[in-house]
Amino acid sequence: MHEASHISEPLAAAPRHRASWFELARQHRVLLSSAFLLAFPLVMPFTALAVNILIYGLYALGFNLLFGYLGLLSFGHAALFGTGAYLCGIAIVHFGMPWYAAIVVGVLGGVAMAAAIGVLAIRTRGIYFAMVTMALSQCVYYLFYQAIDWTGGENGLRGINVREISIFGLKFDFIDPLTRYYVVAAFVILALIFLSRILASPFGAVIEAVRENEARARASGYNVTATRLIAFILSGAFCGLAGALQALHLSIVPIEIMHYETSGLAVMMSLLGGMGTFFGPFVGAAVFLLLENLVSLWTVHWQLFVGAVFMVCVLFFPKGIWGTLLQRVQK
Amino acid sequence: MAGLTLDLIGLQLFTGLALGAVYVLLAIGLSLIFGMLTVVNFAHGAFYMLGAYVGVYLLALGGNFWLCLVAVPIIVGTIGLVVERFLIRPLYGRGIDYPLLLTFGLSYVIVELVRIAFGKAGYPFDTPELLQGAVDIGIGYFPLYRLFVIAAAGVVLLGLWLFLERTSFGLIIRAGARDPQIVRVLGVDVARVWLVVFGIGTGIAALAGLLAAPLQGVIPEMGGPILVEAFVVTVVGGMGSLLGAVLAGLLVGVVVSLSSLFVPEMAKVSIFALMAIVLLIRPQGFFGRAGLMS
Amino acid sequence: MIGQTATSDVILRTERVSKQFGKFTALKDITAEFRRGAITSIIGPNGAGKSTYFNLLSGAFPPTSGQVEFEGRDVTGLPQHKFAHMGVAKSFQITNVFPQLSTHENIRVALQALSSRYNIWTPRTSYKDLVVQADELLHRVGLWSRRGRLAGTLAHGEQRALEIGMALASHPRLLLLDEPTAGMSPEETRVMMDLIVQLAQERTVILVEHKMKLVMGISDRLLVLHHGELLAEGTPADIRRNETVKRVYLGQREH
Repeated sequence: MHEASHISEPLAAAPRHRASWFELARQHRVLLSSAFLLAFPLVMPFTALAVNILIYGLYALGFNLLFGYLGLLSFGHAALFGTGAYLCGIAIVHFGMPWYAAIVVGVLGGVAMAAAIGVLAIRTRGIYFAMVTMALSQCVYYLFYQAIDWTGGENGLRGINVREISIFGLKFDFIDPLTRYYVVAAFVILALIFLSRILASPFGAVIEAVRENEARARASGYNVTATRLIAFILSGAFCGLAGALQALHLSIVPIEIMHYETSGLAVMMSLLGGMGTFFGPFVGAAVFLLLENLVSLWTVHWQLFVGAVFMVCVLFFPKGIWGTLLQRVQK
Repeated sequence: MAGLTLDLIGLQLFTGLALGAVYVLLAIGLSLIFGMLTVVNFAHGAFYMLGAYVGVYLLALGGNFWLCLVAVPIIVGTIGLVVERFLIRPLYGRGIDYPLLLTFGLSYVIVELVRIAFGKAGYPFDTPELLQGAVDIGIGYFPLYRLFVIAAAGVVLLGLWLFLERTSFGLIIRAGARDPQIVRVLGVDVARVWLVVFGIGTGIAALAGLLAAPLQGVIPEMGGPILVEAFVVTVVGGMGSLLGAVLAGLLVGVVVSLSSLFVPEMAKVSIFALMAIVLLIRPQGFFGRAGLMS
Repeated sequence: MIGQTATSDVILRTERVSKQFGKFTALKDITAEFRRGAITSIIGPNGAGKSTYFNLLSGAFPPTSGQVEFEGRDVTGLPQHKFAHMGVAKSFQITNVFPQLSTHENIRVALQALSSRYNIWTPRTSYKDLVVQADELLHRVGLWSRRGRLAGTLAHGEQRALEIGMALASHPRLLLLDEPTAGMSPEETRVMMDLIVQLAQERTVILVEHKMKLVMGISDRLLVLHHGELLAEGTPADIRRNETVKRVYLGQREH
């Protein structure tokens, strides 16, 4: 490199970051997040709710990769989540596959659906994306609704009975709520590791660059369209996994899983927790589901509160709960 | 395919136009708001539903349908003004996604408030007496009310066109839709223009809801699916284009109604197939400008 | 004749390029050649079509008609990112960095575009050579002391310098600069012009400039645009003597 010859100052004198404990925590985010999720049932008495938080947290995490890190707002993630759930369920109910193979099928389903929706939606720009993904997801809803032989139509797909999970010869009772929690948590931790690798990889830098400045990223030599499509497909893998786990957890796939309100859930949880933060989606899922459970004890109109809290969040706390907290700590 | 006569197809075409008229009214409001404010109004379906419910309420108070046609857009449009002024305006300049997210949250609030006020169950909505029955339109008998819906949409479009073409305020809106910078340079109070446009857009959505009420009844969830369909119309027609909204709205209406005649099992997904084709061939829509959203 | 230009001293050519925006013709039938190793400046009064021409040259959008040729190859209509891969880099008229990334990361991302665009698994810290190269480029453009700062918090002149650094990251043979000194103080302008002259020793530079006086001293050749058409072309001395150019610039306030 000929540029090097112009350098007169020594390179070793690079101004280094102070290694604060905050920076340390950021480096070990997978470990810390995993530790928290493993300890969570100790402080959370309702294990079934805790499992929900894990699964929806994972779902929001997949959404957050796209919206928080890449800056692409999708309103069609229900199709990815739902396809993961349905395909996992169909693999078990119609093909008698073992649970682990069914999960793989679910993840692949999420990936394939993301590729299909992505190829069409990525052709549009900016704000169209939210509308097109929402519309295509609605189309997928109708298709699954009508494929009654496979999906059970409006009755949902029933009979996903996984009672026992065996890993390397060890047998776990999947009916026991706590065991179930830890089985799901194991998959969530795998997903956290994968996400952390993505974010730390060169591609992770590209998606942030595209979010920050699309034109500059293009001029630097990045194919923005391809980047978006790949990120959408990766997002589909996470959401497909979440859907597959949801199918095993509920032992039924209700058609509502494909409804656009499910897409809205990912948006709400992600923003509530803090978009573009690593652990935010789980915080968002926890707050949302706790709010839903608490308020619905008191009134059937809990959606009023959810909507209002969301609006307050958009207006006054765009960084979300976790994001705002991180910002405070950082200062 | 016995019974599938040309007349039947013709009648179904008219049914499609009536349905399309409702789409047109929704999409034109969406497009108008987007063109001026660059806000995708996810609460547009909620305003549509609100229009129907305000109609139910006014009728219960003893009003008649004709009064509703005037009062409903004014009442809901006023709510739209308040929403723009106090909820959306603080978000300008914070990126294109935030107003969208806010209106999304707002749609939950509106739907739930309506459930509280009117209950979860729906209301039937009688066709106004004067518009009951059917008329012979040459190829067969067609429900009078559906003709009325088409005519009403036509009148609204004509009025909107005159407003945009013949008034100085309309001139500002047209200029602003092309280039917001120009309006600012002219020294116009942009905030006021945006406020009015949002009010008009939501008012027209409410009118669409009222017009649709006798066709399909009134339930709190009625705004959801139609919002998605209005999005399809906007994508097909080209976001921000009023002409696109009109043509695509009618086209989508006709596609829905013809596909439910020929391939009923595909009726629900036919418009999405249409959208997919448009996206593949002309991603910016019929009349969209390629670089608008960059 | 296109394709037959054996003259390898021509790096970039446009053959009758025009650009329409709706009914508005921004650029009309411009045929021009840019010599390798030279500094060529595109000048003209406001609204002359300079930026449009720049965008055609840098691949931001394709011409409505006509052809753009880079190193003898037809590149008309290639997507923007391909231009970077071929060795064409550009800076923008309005400052254009990644504001929420650190200064160092801005350059590292630009460097990475040549080697690893789609790797989703290997940590980017393991690409040590990129880190070192980014540091070298930071020195080169005088931003070493700003290494860890968020790019969005840099001073205007520093952001422009960062942009040049990012453009250099792709080892471009052709560097396109759109009004690189816009909005700069006289001191910052001087530093930037020195940098441009220095950079031009190793590569071809094309720059768009509104201020004619600024580029007269450093340019080898000048292109003068007016109302979307090529008004004159030649050495600074030719342009200075050109009566038509004088007339066009008459009444235009020189800065």
